[in-house]
Amino acid sequence: MVLDQTRSGTTFESIKTREKMIPVLIIDDDVELTKLLEEYLQGEQFDLNAAHDGPAGLEKALNNTYSVIVLDVMLPGMSGLDVLKQLRQKSTVPVLMLTARGSELDRILGLELGADDYLAKPFNPRELVARLRAILRRTANVAPSTAQPVHVADLELHPDSRSVTCSGKPVTLTGAEFDLLYTFMRSPGKIISREDLTQAALGRPMSPMDRSIDVHVSNLRRKLGTYDTNHERIKAIRGSGYIYLLPGEQP
Amino acid sequence: MSLRTLFLKIFMWFWLATAAMIGVLALMVLLSISETLPERTTRGTFGEALSLYSETAVRTYQRDGVQALEQFVARSLKEAGTEIFLFDANGKPLTSIDPANVQNMLQQLQQQQTPQRISQVFLGRVTWGKQVAGADGKRYFFITRFQQPGPGARPPTLSPFRIAVMILTAGLVCYLLATYLTSPVKKLQSAVQSFAEGNLDARVSPALGNRKDELADLGREFDHMAERIEALIYSQQRLLGDISHELRSPLARLSVALELARKNSTERAAPALDRIEQEGERLNKLVGQLLALTRLESGAEKIALETVMLEDLVQQVIDDANFEANPLRKEVTAIQLEACRVNGSPELLRSAIENVIRNAVRYTPTAGAVEVSLRWKLDTAELTVNDQGPGVPEAELKHIFEPFYRVSEARERTSGGAGLGLSIADRTVKLHGGTIEASNSHSGLRVLIRLPLAPNQNKPDPSQSQAAFSPASLASG
Repeated sequence: MVLDQTRSGTTFESIKTREKMIPVLIIDDDVELTKLLEEYLQGEQFDLNAAHDGPAGLEKALNNTYSVIVLDVMLPGMSGLDVLKQLRQKSTVPVLMLTARGSELDRILGLELGADDYLAKPFNPRELVARLRAILRRTANVAPSTAQPVHVADLELHPDSRSVTCSGKPVTLTGAEFDLLYTFMRSPGKIISREDLTQAALGRPMSPMDRSIDVHVSNLRRKLGTYDTNHERIKAIRGSGYIYLLPGEQP
Repeated sequence: MSLRTLFLKIFMWFWLATAAMIGVLALMVLLSISETLPERTTRGTFGEALSLYSETAVRTYQRDGVQALEQFVARSLKEAGTEIFLFDANGKPLTSIDPANVQNMLQQLQQQQTPQRISQVFLGRVTWGKQVAGADGKRYFFITRFQQPGPGARPPTLSPFRIAVMILTAGLVCYLLATYLTSPVKKLQSAVQSFAEGNLDARVSPALGNRKDELADLGREFDHMAERIEALIYSQQRLLGDISHELRSPLARLSVALELARKNSTERAAPALDRIEQEGERLNKLVGQLLALTRLESGAEKIALETVMLEDLVQQVIDDANFEANPLRKEVTAIQLEACRVNGSPELLRSAIENVIRNAVRYTPTAGAVEVSLRWKLDTAELTVNDQGPGVPEAELKHIFEPFYRVSEARERTSGGAGLGLSIADRTVKLHGGTIEASNSHSGLRVLIRLPLAPNQNKPDPSQSQAAFSPASLASG
């Protein structure tokens, strides 16, 4: 609320420029941090709005239009993961999670619950901007897709409606998972490096020690299940990347 | 195992003691009878009756001869089970029953100065003897053996069957007693075991019911202790979470403020700002490592067991390490990675292996290489990491896994790292039931990690492990 007051005090010029700016919501209980971030991100053409607890953040996220939501996992009262769970029931807005460094479980749970990417806290703000841009690039690419549906074995993927069916049954995928599967299905039976997959699914280059692509692949595996013959669809190739196998190609 | 023996110890010792007591009691009854019976047979009416009996035997012999005596002896034996022996003054047997059993008493009678009745009891059989003067003045020695007379004369303990029944009954009672005594110990043991395995809400009291004795008290004391430890561990976990949050929040703000300062400052401030960023990152890393180490040492870290494909994990760490090492013209190479499956936490194992490999990269000179190999040895996976650094003095090898340990003066700040990486690796490997050791190889330091393999795996055929999945075969299919 403190932030809103500051905002009402800004000049007309800045309001004008803000119209071209990208609306971003941050849900983080660290008021001072969100203030600093607001100042920093303004220079990067992001209009940062802040909420400092789970319920308030959820309400803002559902009642306003944001391009991206930055969500801290450690929130008082209602955990960030719960916020994400409730948000995902009504909205597909891209979510970037802030996790405590070393808390792998939060990260995996977050990606499983439909977060698009994560960033360990404390983060470098330049990295935050890069991640936000990556998410925006990826979601921007999505809209004008008039590409033809892709079939691979029992899977059918419709780029226009961003829907997937497996043996006729619909499969619910997050944005990142969909882009990942789309990448796989455009070149089945070929090894795709983790770098390329990260670029395609998350819209950004892979950073060292970055495991998010593996989490996305494992979620995708789980959601698609195995072939009827009980064989894996996606196989890890050590040192190279991943491969989407056709039914006849089982090793 | 120890319980088994405790149970057996209680059971066997109690049973043995009871059996021994039964034996001693039987013997004592026997002895007491043996002590009083000779009295009764030498004096009183019983003695008189036996005396008359002996005189009758002598009279029969003197008056009617050997034939009549034999008839008398035979009748006694048949009707009363009584053996009769009669000897003349020289100790020559006049009766036909073999006198071997009574030679002892015969000698006693012969040596008597004044004639006396003597009596011995052995195992309920009475031997009674007396010197008898015949009508012609000749001396005779009369000895008779018969079953101890009277009710209860044959002590119950003397029947082997009854003794066996008694000892078996004692055994049953001892078994029940041992079970009763050791069952709470067993419950206590399983609760302690479960607690040690990290199940902090393991308690004994519910299993003990209404039992009230020292063992039940011990169980309740254990519960009391467990409750306290549980509370302490939970509060420590909470504290760790809070510390993590409280230490990192300022760091997060610092890094944003730093970027703001960068934007608003001139080129001249850049080196100092870079330094601030570097130190902030160092602090952040240290906080993370300290938290990880504390978590590992407190036992608060619960490892969710999953099957980890170690070769994949090692390869991933090598790829990541190369990402950082290659720009420094260093290289991490996998000499051999055999397929090994272990049970454990992939995240913890990754960070352990990462710490070891990063440490190796740090001490390897430019243009050098770190060699990593993973081999299957019997029931363990052996991961070796060889660097080309200066190695570590032999005397300090065992200390390098201690937190913040620095190898003599040689290590300088520029080598980076706070000396926690190897400690974290050490605790993690131990948590997974493995071992970690360091030694000097010909080229530098060698760290060897041994982890127990998950059960039920077959050693992979080396010819298949890599070639089966060549990209070419897949691309053509």
